[in-house]
Amino acid sequence: MRSKNRKDLFPGALELMVLQSLRQEPRHGYALAQHIKRASNDLLNVEEGSLYPALQRMLRSGWLKARWDTSASGRRVRVYELTDKGHSRLTHEVSSFERMLEGIRLVLGPAASARAWKP
Amino acid sequence: MNWIRDLFARRTLERDLAEEIRQHLDEKIDDLMLQGLDRDAATRLARREFGNVTLVEEQGRDVWRWPIVEDGLADLRYAFRQLRRTPAFAFAAIATLALGIGASVAMFTVVNAVVLRPLPFPSPDRLVTIESRDRRSPEPDTLSYPTFFDFRSRATGFARMASFRGSGLTLSGRGLPIQLRGQIVSWDFFQTLGIEPAAGRWFLPEEEAADARVVVLSHETWTSVFGGDSSVIGAPVTIGSVPHVVVGIAPAGFNFPLNSLPDQIWTTLAHDASSDTVTPMTRQRGSRVLHAVARLAPGISIDEAHAQLDALAAAIARDEPNQNKNIDRTYVTPALERLLGQSRPAVLILWAAVTLLMLTACANVASLLLARTADREREFALRLAIGGSSRRIIQQLVTENLALAGIGCSAGVVVAVMAVQWLLPLAADTLPRAQDVRTDMRVLSFAVALALLTTLLISAPAALRAARGRFRRPLGTGPRAATDDRQPARALLVVAQVAVSLVLLTAATILAATFVRIVERDLGFQPQHLVTFSVSLPATRFPLDRQVQFVDDLIDRLGATPDVTAASAGMPLPLAGDEINVSFDIAERPSAPSDRPRANMAIVTPGYFATIGTPLVAGRGFAALDDEHHPRVLVVNQAFAERFFPGESALGKRLKPGATSKRDTGTVSREIVGIVGNARQGLLSTEPEPIYYFPYKQLPWGAPSVVVRSSMELALEPTFRRIVAAMDAGVAVHDVRAFEDVLVQGLSAPQLALLVIGGIALIALLLTATGLYGLLSYSVLRRTREIGIRVALGARRTWIVSMVVRQVLTLIVAGIILGGLAGVAADVLLRQRLGMTGPALAPLLAGACFLVALTAALASYVPARRAASIDPTEALRNE
Repeated sequence: MRSKNRKDLFPGALELMVLQSLRQEPRHGYALAQHIKRASNDLLNVEEGSLYPALQRMLRSGWLKARWDTSASGRRVRVYELTDKGHSRLTHEVSSFERMLEGIRLVLGPAASARAWKP
Repeated sequence: MNWIRDLFARRTLERDLAEEIRQHLDEKIDDLMLQGLDRDAATRLARREFGNVTLVEEQGRDVWRWPIVEDGLADLRYAFRQLRRTPAFAFAAIATLALGIGASVAMFTVVNAVVLRPLPFPSPDRLVTIESRDRRSPEPDTLSYPTFFDFRSRATGFARMASFRGSGLTLSGRGLPIQLRGQIVSWDFFQTLGIEPAAGRWFLPEEEAADARVVVLSHETWTSVFGGDSSVIGAPVTIGSVPHVVVGIAPAGFNFPLNSLPDQIWTTLAHDASSDTVTPMTRQRGSRVLHAVARLAPGISIDEAHAQLDALAAAIARDEPNQNKNIDRTYVTPALERLLGQSRPAVLILWAAVTLLMLTACANVASLLLARTADREREFALRLAIGGSSRRIIQQLVTENLALAGIGCSAGVVVAVMAVQWLLPLAADTLPRAQDVRTDMRVLSFAVALALLTTLLISAPAALRAARGRFRRPLGTGPRAATDDRQPARALLVVAQVAVSLVLLTAATILAATFVRIVERDLGFQPQHLVTFSVSLPATRFPLDRQVQFVDDLIDRLGATPDVTAASAGMPLPLAGDEINVSFDIAERPSAPSDRPRANMAIVTPGYFATIGTPLVAGRGFAALDDEHHPRVLVVNQAFAERFFPGESALGKRLKPGATSKRDTGTVSREIVGIVGNARQGLLSTEPEPIYYFPYKQLPWGAPSVVVRSSMELALEPTFRRIVAAMDAGVAVHDVRAFEDVLVQGLSAPQLALLVIGGIALIALLLTATGLYGLLSYSVLRRTREIGIRVALGARRTWIVSMVVRQVLTLIVAGIILGGLAGVAADVLLRQRLGMTGPALAPLLAGACFLVALTAALASYVPARRAASIDPTEALRNE
């Protein structure tokens, strides 16, 4: 099962990446998928399809808005853009993500120093 | 609401998503082909990297879904399809619910306006009424002024205490004089209720002094008579020929105590404090005429205040044994409860009865539904077998029932609104606050709550079956005669319904028969073209002689008016409902005062019997000469003659009536000079009551009402007013009425009782029918296989029908016996209540029994016929 392998993404990671990518510039779905893939060094390899339910969820929450446009290559694409609500959501997500990283670091950190402290 | 918009934008959303995914794949394939893959390989890889397109689409769609709402809508659509498929069932169920809920909502509308609504004053729960308690009487009694003053000054448990008594007051000096409904009140009557004047001020304490003459006008009087002119405050008006000052205007809509016609003017008890001739009423301990309303002092409970008044009443009884010996206690009652009086329990009992009816309707619909669910058990079994959840099936059943209850409830509200609008005018005189009854938000909320409750009640049996897994039978077995399906509860329900509908029908037929007798009774006079009116003759300006003279003149002038066939005066008039019941002694058979016979009396002018159209049977009527200078005489009616002089002629007999004139000294002996027909005095009496008549000039008790016979009828009102005004500018004409209207109005109370009881009886009967129908249908369905086998083995159709009917025959017979017994009891009760010898019960009861039996037969016929037409091959095919 391919999807099982992707479960290592922490919850909300996809949203976070989408929001962050869209903050740089509005993108359509395929471009978004490619960007995330490239930006994460293929580390967080998302199954491309799973992007769309996530986009729909974020549309419904009002974090994104979408419009149909023509891409540089002349394709009819649906371009997503961050709303104000999406901006503040991203700020919130980033700070809570950083808190989480900080937490993980603290949990991992003392283990190392404890070893050093041991006589 | 976002989700509503979403629901409609759904199609666009789905199209966009599909398009977007397609574009994504195209772009990806193009990219991969640029990297050197051929189209097939690129397509395969693109699809693999994308994942399951259908699943993604579905997940994308799910983001926008509200599963409960949408499943619910689907269920609802399905429910409506189901109802359309079985119109007979749908009609029966909806009609049953509509009637049950409609009756309950209708009664709640009344309960809401009459009982539940608090009095429209601040802290209405602190308002109480105060009455005397006489050891000799079971009824609460009014107070006298001295007792009220004692209570007011000495009881500390009350913040305020006010007296009031009704009294008509004549307003003159502004065009024609008019008679106003008035109250004579203590100074802080309005302050006790806690309301503010619309203009001006309320009364002051010093305005209780005997010489104070002040009034407060109702808002309606102020606008209609004074054109809403605020300069009227402080201005003099003439009340009863005496100048009064208007001090204030009551707020619009003010009505206390809850009269069907609100009061129009208030003045202080100064009116009762002055009298030229006798001791003023305010100083007579024995003159008990007052009602009292009070506001409890803060922190004092009604029981504490009551105990205090009882102690005061006991003290007064000791100090004033002559007047108050037996009046040593009081009643202190929450004001609203007292003002509603008997209507409160009556309305609540009726509501409880109707609610019971609604619950029965629910039970019957549940029973109908159970029969239908049984019919669909195979459908459910199939759904369970292919993985449907029983929760989902229950949800669907409940949704279907919700649709049913919703439609039933909407129809019920329509029924209720129509019923209330139709019946309310009949209740205007008997039911306090009837004019305030309307369908408000509270009523509608009640209806919605009823619909939900109904859904719950009618869904319960089928849902329980589903939850218990009764539907999980192997496919291929249809509904079978389940041996565990004995249903004592439903059988009992049928018995109860038959019995109750029989009792109600019996009561309704008794009421109907009584009503017909009232309508068809011989009134003993001719009410057509007969008009009556009253005049107010203030005692201060009209001493006895002037009063008699005025009435004499008025009748002469009326008689001389064109279009008037005859004019005279009398009191009380026929059908007036008032009775003056006075004892008399028969000269040739004297008896002790306590043993003397009593009868209704009336005082009439000469020509009275001819005017109202009562025939003279023997002797003579009254003549102008029957005055105080001539021998005292009486005329009696036939009922009187037959009752007190059976088998002999009453003419020439002498009576000594207890009723005497101030001009007579002691009781006088009067000779019966004439016998007339039985003109009905009581509005609703079916039997003629004995009446003896006095000539007005020999017993001038106040001003009698005038009766005029004329084909012009009420069109003559301006003429009456003109004639009276020409005689005296200070005398008001009031209560101008046509006798036929009095008659119609008088019939409204029995008509209301008949319609309400009849309506409930009819609903009960219909419920019985649906109940029986549901029970039998269910049982026939369950026994389809058994019946099929019986038919296959040669059972005749008639035998099958009788087998089905036998099942409920016992129940119906048991119900009829029970109901018949209760019907006899109801008859006794109704006779007591109506106070008359009603029509014979036997034929009515038999008629009601027949109707119930007929309904039961019809309700059983349809399922029985279905049973008889069961095709054995059909029924057994599933085996």
